[in-house]
Amino acid sequence: MSTTPSHSASHGAATQPWSGLRVVDEGGLCTAYATRLWAALGAEVVVLEPPGGHPYRQLPPFAPGTTAPEGSLWWASFGQNKRSVVAEANSELAVELRRRADVVLVEPGPDERRAVLERTPDNVLVAVTPFGLRGPRANWQGSDLVAWAASGLSYVTGFPDRPPVALAKLNFAAHVTAMVAVGGAMVALRARKATGGGQLVDVSMQQANAMLSPEAGVPLVLDDGVHRSRSGNRRTVSRPFGLYPCADGFVSIIIVQPAHWNNLAAWMAEATGMDAVLEPAFVDLATRWEASEFIDATTEMLTMPLTKHELFVEGQRRNIPITPVNTVADLAVDPHLEAAGFWREGDHPVVGPHRHPGAPFTGAEGWWHWSRAPLLDEHRHDVASRWDIPDTALA
Amino acid sequence: MDAGSRPFDGLRVVELSIAIAAPSCGRMLAYFGADVMKLESQQHPDVARLFGSAWARTPELAAVFTDTSPYLPEMNANKRSVGLNLKSPAALAAAKALIANADVFLTNYSTPAVTDLGLDADTLRALNPRLIYAALPAFGSDPDRPYYEFISWGPNQAPLVGLDEVTGFPDQEPAGVAAFAPPDYFAGLHAFFGLMTALEHRDRTGEGCWLDLSQFEITVSALGPYALDQQLSGEVVTRSGNRVGWYAPQGVYRCTGEDRWVAVTVQDDGAWRALAGVLDGSGALAADASLATMAGRHAAHDRLDELLGAWTATRSPEQAAAELQEAGVAAHAVHSPETQLTDLQLTEYGWYQARPSFRFPDGDLLGSCAMHLAGTPGRWDRGAPSMGEHTADALTEVAGLDADAIADLVDAGAAFLPTAPDLKLHRPYEHVLRFLGLQEDAR
Repeated sequence: MSTTPSHSASHGAATQPWSGLRVVDEGGLCTAYATRLWAALGAEVVVLEPPGGHPYRQLPPFAPGTTAPEGSLWWASFGQNKRSVVAEANSELAVELRRRADVVLVEPGPDERRAVLERTPDNVLVAVTPFGLRGPRANWQGSDLVAWAASGLSYVTGFPDRPPVALAKLNFAAHVTAMVAVGGAMVALRARKATGGGQLVDVSMQQANAMLSPEAGVPLVLDDGVHRSRSGNRRTVSRPFGLYPCADGFVSIIIVQPAHWNNLAAWMAEATGMDAVLEPAFVDLATRWEASEFIDATTEMLTMPLTKHELFVEGQRRNIPITPVNTVADLAVDPHLEAAGFWREGDHPVVGPHRHPGAPFTGAEGWWHWSRAPLLDEHRHDVASRWDIPDTALA
Repeated sequence: MDAGSRPFDGLRVVELSIAIAAPSCGRMLAYFGADVMKLESQQHPDVARLFGSAWARTPELAAVFTDTSPYLPEMNANKRSVGLNLKSPAALAAAKALIANADVFLTNYSTPAVTDLGLDADTLRALNPRLIYAALPAFGSDPDRPYYEFISWGPNQAPLVGLDEVTGFPDQEPAGVAAFAPPDYFAGLHAFFGLMTALEHRDRTGEGCWLDLSQFEITVSALGPYALDQQLSGEVVTRSGNRVGWYAPQGVYRCTGEDRWVAVTVQDDGAWRALAGVLDGSGALAADASLATMAGRHAAHDRLDELLGAWTATRSPEQAAAELQEAGVAAHAVHSPETQLTDLQLTEYGWYQARPSFRFPDGDLLGSCAMHLAGTPGRWDRGAPSMGEHTADALTEVAGLDADAIADLVDAGAAFLPTAPDLKLHRPYEHVLRFLGLQEDAR
């Protein structure tokens, strides 16, 4: 494996794939996750912040003893690798920055969307909105929770006797949207190589997250006419298929393949003495579904005395797809992430020293370069001088 | 660029994939014009093909069952299918002839599996130094890492990477994200981002590269703020229903109708005053100073949920959302699959489209792509390919084989063409497509 890609340390900017690209990020929650990665790969991302600061600067949790605008751990994480310039949206400085950018990302408010839609930009302009720039609900407001509701994801998530739930606490819909927004910008940049021209990229939270909805099922439901709703933490396809309690939490067991079932059944019989699970008919997914009560009870007899770590390691050794329900504390000491060099040492003048997630994937040597989140307006003069912004704009 | 041309016209992608992670990435490339050739095997079909339609489980349709899954156009629209049984040396040679002339090899087979097939990164990059080799195994490609040989099915990943722990209500076990697999799609988006970066790298250096995308690391990247919180404060984030620390009130509230709900987020103090006006025309609620700040509303969240829930309980989700949005409060009906199909915004953008395919010539349904480029838009030309539909075309055009060589491969069982080519099918919901005007679109 001589060419195994490695997580690189700091490298000179010239070796990075996006070095020289100028990006102005005026977005809020829905662009930051992906522009952090873009900046780590060499793009010069200038966060054009309103005087009050970027919305992520206001979000809890904060580092102990700190406050906004510098102490938010959202900002410490997703502000990484970027530069900060503070300016009113209609100021000369903002106009001059946008004019020099290859890509501008915005999240226009309800009253601004029509004007964005009608613009023909010279560069790549990415507009991120809850529901799109046009249509009867173009001026509606959104949130992470609202995006999961509107894209069909929350209806199928949760227990049948409780309200639908979402991953709102992670702003996961926003991160998915950010990846779609920057992905769209990258496609537009490739088109620019052929045409020389810029264009508008229209991205909505609703549609970005609807890209995750195939299993939730519009075409599926139309095809078989079977309504789908929430089924709790086990899917209604077979057993075991979902979460099972254990000594210190929960594990996920997903059995589809016959070989995996045989391995699990052998372990269950060995550990519980319930030889009935060895009945050959149980190899069939549908048969196990019909015998759900028995299969679930026997599975829990196996899982309850053991920890999630024991079940994970021993289950995988026996070639059974078992994974633990991890918390962030578990992930912090996970041996695989450790071996991958995933966590990187960072420091920040307000937050202090910490470890942060590093490269989500690897490419060629020298691609990734990490730096701390900027202080508010930290790069005003630095960016102005390197981007040749007239002095009048800095007044 | 000419009218109708697309950003990835001329880009050749060979895909060896299963289920969602790699296919969802290849599909975005195909939307923008790439020639995505999916290698398919009769011995080991993509699992998405095994979830065939319920109505197609009949002896008469056994030969075409693997073309019927409604998942197929969702994952593989616009792609070509090249039928090669890769365990055969002749088929492997044909696959390599395709890859020698390709820009991208995209796979989410496990590393041991691609290595057994002889399609590992070292071999293919030696064959084609400009090739971008993109692999998305669950735990990466480095055999020295502890979970290298571990197995995980789609729904195994969300719990592992910390998503399930934070899904559900605090008084219950984790609800988990059981019905779909966010890490699969998130990995597909990162693969797309990685491929765009690798193309840029190749433009600058003339060299291909190896993208190693582990689903595990990708999704943990999204947990950054809480990972820092755990280190610095010892706080371990867990589930809290639909509540978050920065908006209040926020929740999903029951409406009239069977299992019908509306999601509501009060984004700021202004939105609260608007909501208070909607809930209480007397003005008393809006005037309550204890609720004027986010902190005050968090403290009173249970009471606010009751008030809001009582208000939504007498309205349909659509009515409630419209009234709240009119006042300036973020809200939307919780879409079931049935209501999502006729969503006004999705309809405006042509989200659901019917496109003809080899097996469904009158159109098969697919959801679109969320990247709307005004100047150089993508488009859906066709639904999912039939297994082996483009074997002859791709081997001729890209691998440079002649008709005799292809016939020999087929005769030897190394390559295959579509089964029962004259057997054409129709979805059982054609009337719905026609009613929505989608069927006309396809013709």
